[in-house]
Amino acid sequence: MTPINISLLVFMIGLYGVMSKNNLIKKIMGLTIMNGSIVLFFISIGYKEAGLAPILEKGTTGGIPTTILVDPLPQALMLTAIVIGISITALALALIVRIYAKYKTLDIQQLSKER
Amino acid sequence: MGSSKIIRTIVQKLFPFIVLFGLYLISHGHLSPGGGFQGGVVIGTAIILLALSYGIEKTEKKFENKRLSMLEKLGILTFIFLGFLGIFMGHSFLGNFLPLGKPGQIASGGLMLLFNIAIGIEVATGVSIIFYALVKYRGEI
Amino acid sequence: MFKEMKKVFFIIIILVMTILFILSVDIEYGNPKNLDVANYYVDQGLHDTGAINLVAAIYLGYRAYDTLIETIVLFVAVTGVVFYLRGKR
Repeated sequence: MTPINISLLVFMIGLYGVMSKNNLIKKIMGLTIMNGSIVLFFISIGYKEAGLAPILEKGTTGGIPTTILVDPLPQALMLTAIVIGISITALALALIVRIYAKYKTLDIQQLSKER
Repeated sequence: MGSSKIIRTIVQKLFPFIVLFGLYLISHGHLSPGGGFQGGVVIGTAIILLALSYGIEKTEKKFENKRLSMLEKLGILTFIFLGFLGIFMGHSFLGNFLPLGKPGQIASGGLMLLFNIAIGIEVATGVSIIFYALVKYRGEI
Repeated sequence: MFKEMKKVFFIIIILVMTILFILSVDIEYGNPKNLDVANYYVDQGLHDTGAINLVAAIYLGYRAYDTLIETIVLFVAVTGVVFYLRGKR
């Protein structure tokens, strides 16, 4: 049960939340859970067996041999992914506040009958 | 509409330490795990904590909306200005033109400290402005 | 009709995800294969940028352009939220 399998399970949980919950806020929570699972998947791709964090020692350049450091490239890409997840959640919640002010309900079945 | 007196007292005592920790994360971004985004979110969370425990009106007297908005625009414009400064000094856009220094000290890495400070200011004020806008909406269509 | 479509989608997606899960049980974990770019970043990162945090050397040194566009994305999101929740002028 490596973290790669667990990230697939968490992605399925998020997908279930987006598909089959009727409340709009629960759908947005499902999107955030899926974002977290993708971040976990990418970071666990670059893992080396018994590896250390990719931060060198202070002052010396020959302290840690650099072949047992974990891959630092996916971690730098996932910083951008997390920030974009925050932007998506913030804009979606602002739209949900406006929808509730106009239609007085957050249920997707009743909203699809509104026209 | 704030919270009880226990929460208000503890938040008042804790607020400077949270901001200090956020500033430590921003300024040591090139020496230890951290950086602009992480430290900025910590400082933004401190302001949100104040707004949750003291009520939104009292917090807005100290951290005004117009001032935070101006700081956010200043943060993103500083980043772009530092990029163009790299062109004026002869390197590429966003290139390093400051001396690299000894590895392990704070004044190392060239432009990285200034980038981290600009990003930290921008993210902290951005998160606070989002929270203010979501709380103060009064249901007008 | 909406409930029938939802049931069919459910069954298809659960089937696809189960197949993916069964196929991925024996994924190799802890042994990345192509590490040429990562080895270059780990070997030359301190010499090119002067930072001992290699992740910061990547996203503020080698790829600072992506970080600039990401801060612009966050700024646009804040502008959008303020625009939608403005209220009566």
